[in-house]
Amino acid sequence: MKISTKQYAQALYELTLEKSEGEVNIVVEKFVKELAKNNNIKLASKIVDKFEEIYNKNNGIIVAEVTSTNNLDKDYLDKIEKYLINKYVAKHVVLTNKIDASIKGGIILRVGEDVLDESIIKKVNNLKIFLAQ
Amino acid sequence: MNKNHIVEQLKKQIENFEAQAKTEKVGKVLEIGDGVARISGLSEAMASEMLEFQDGTIAVALNLEEDQVGAMVLGDYKGIKEGDEVKSTGKILSIPVTEKMIGRVIDPLGNAIDGKGEIKSDKFYPIEKVAPGVIERKSVHQPVQTGIKAIDAMIPVGRGQRELIIGDRQTGKTAIAIDTIINQKGQDMICIYVAIGQKESKISRIVAELEKNGAMNHTIVIVAGASDSAAFSFISPYSGAAIGEYFMDQGKDVLVVYDDLSKHAWAYRQISLILKRPPGREAYPGDIFYLHSRLLERSAKLDEKFGGGSITALPIIETQAGDVSAYIPTNVISITDGQIYLEADLFYKGLRPALNVGLSVSRVGSSAQIKAMKKVAGKLRLDLAQFRELEAFAQFGSDLDEKTRAQIERGKRTIEILKQDQYAPMLVENQVSIIYALINGFIDDVAVEKISEWEEGFHKFMKSSKKEVLEKIAIQKELSEEIVGDLEKAIKEFKEGFQG
Repeated sequence: MKISTKQYAQALYELTLEKSEGEVNIVVEKFVKELAKNNNIKLASKIVDKFEEIYNKNNGIIVAEVTSTNNLDKDYLDKIEKYLINKYVAKHVVLTNKIDASIKGGIILRVGEDVLDESIIKKVNNLKIFLAQ
Repeated sequence: MNKNHIVEQLKKQIENFEAQAKTEKVGKVLEIGDGVARISGLSEAMASEMLEFQDGTIAVALNLEEDQVGAMVLGDYKGIKEGDEVKSTGKILSIPVTEKMIGRVIDPLGNAIDGKGEIKSDKFYPIEKVAPGVIERKSVHQPVQTGIKAIDAMIPVGRGQRELIIGDRQTGKTAIAIDTIINQKGQDMICIYVAIGQKESKISRIVAELEKNGAMNHTIVIVAGASDSAAFSFISPYSGAAIGEYFMDQGKDVLVVYDDLSKHAWAYRQISLILKRPPGREAYPGDIFYLHSRLLERSAKLDEKFGGGSITALPIIETQAGDVSAYIPTNVISITDGQIYLEADLFYKGLRPALNVGLSVSRVGSSAQIKAMKKVAGKLRLDLAQFRELEAFAQFGSDLDEKTRAQIERGKRTIEILKQDQYAPMLVENQVSIIYALINGFIDDVAVEKISEWEEGFHKFMKSSKKEVLEKIAIQKELSEEIVGDLEKAIKEFKEGFQG
């Protein structure tokens, strides 16, 4: 039977759950051997991505990216973090700041597939569509 | 208008503009090709939800898989790249509907393509809708006059019926549908002609013909041309049904022609195969039957409590070399309430419409026929059936007894009377009078080759000097003794004057 990336990642998560570092090393080694045996080594990077996703989900960690025209200061980032923790009932937020001058102003907040677009360019476009009606 | 006024107006408009930000679900294009996109993410997409690409192109989610969505792109997909963002809109695919569409040529998404300006509407109807249930329906009881003698007399169609037109290529399938549309002039019927994967030249010819006959004033033409994507061909009949439902919900009667469903099945087969759905018989996907049944089930006659509107469907199926037992023809035959079967052999013999009366049936239409027609049609069918049985003997001419020869002669004349030119639909009162003359032996002494001349002259005579008889048939809708007397008198009067 074909084992999907998701199944591999889920298995790896369950095997390493609440294990000490030494035990984890042994589990991972066995896991990689199993992968090799099944001729699935090429899936490794995808499994890592999926594992990260599962791990984050179960531990209340969210990865977010905020796009702005220039570097946001610490205060502002803290505020965003607080907002995200409230919104997604998360324990911890990993926030990165991306710089993109083409959005003209405002911010775009991206969490997984959720996007909160508060950029000036988007608002201007919406206004354009609104006025054209 | 001065500058300040414009600025003021603009300010007012901008004040009304709400700049509320919402969280949107965004996915990424994994691969795109052949009109189908695979998109990652979009974990909350619904089946047949509209998805929007960066450049504004719309796609419809068809396959919802574990971590990707298979979507068919509506329109041009050349501008879409791998990695592009795709937004889910939260809306099921729907099209604008409005009265202003009548008389126009539109694409399956409701955009005008006849160059007569944009069609604006704020009302939307979903493309896929569950058909009316048992409670909302009423049995078919009003006729759709096709204006074609052979059909109105022997294979009558009622409002709310689904009557299949089936036959090989070049046997006059579209001609019957177009004649029917032309004949709906002044009959309180809105017609929708859906061209599915048709040649653009054919469509423009049809539109020109409808315009010439003044039929565009009650007709909407929906075009998914042969050069449009398969996705357009796939959704166009559903668009037609959606627009039909809009009018039906207002209590109006609608006639929808789907020309043709074989090409619709091909388009759906293409999309299904590209979406990697498993192929079945003739490589069609497993739900090909449901594809057509859910479409045709949407035609209905509604009960008065629900507005009393109706959708009559005339689906068309093209067979290959007369093979009605192929997959799609058998499917659609079993879904519809009867079929009009056209034969290439009859067509080449010069019998037009090339109707095979034996294989054509109408399962519900007879209850919708007007009484006058019902009275004359029974005898007509009998005459024709007897003639078909005896036809083989016709070659032996002289060795036959008197009765048989009379039946053969009558049959020959019946066949002749049932011939009808294209774009020449006939009013029901005219049909009743000519068939009455035929079955009561008034034409038996006219030579077969003179029949068409006789008929033409008869209609002209009736129209010019016996108008009141025709009007009486049209109003009373039955052949009372008084009308029969008048009619017979008129026929005799014409016969005396006819120089054969």
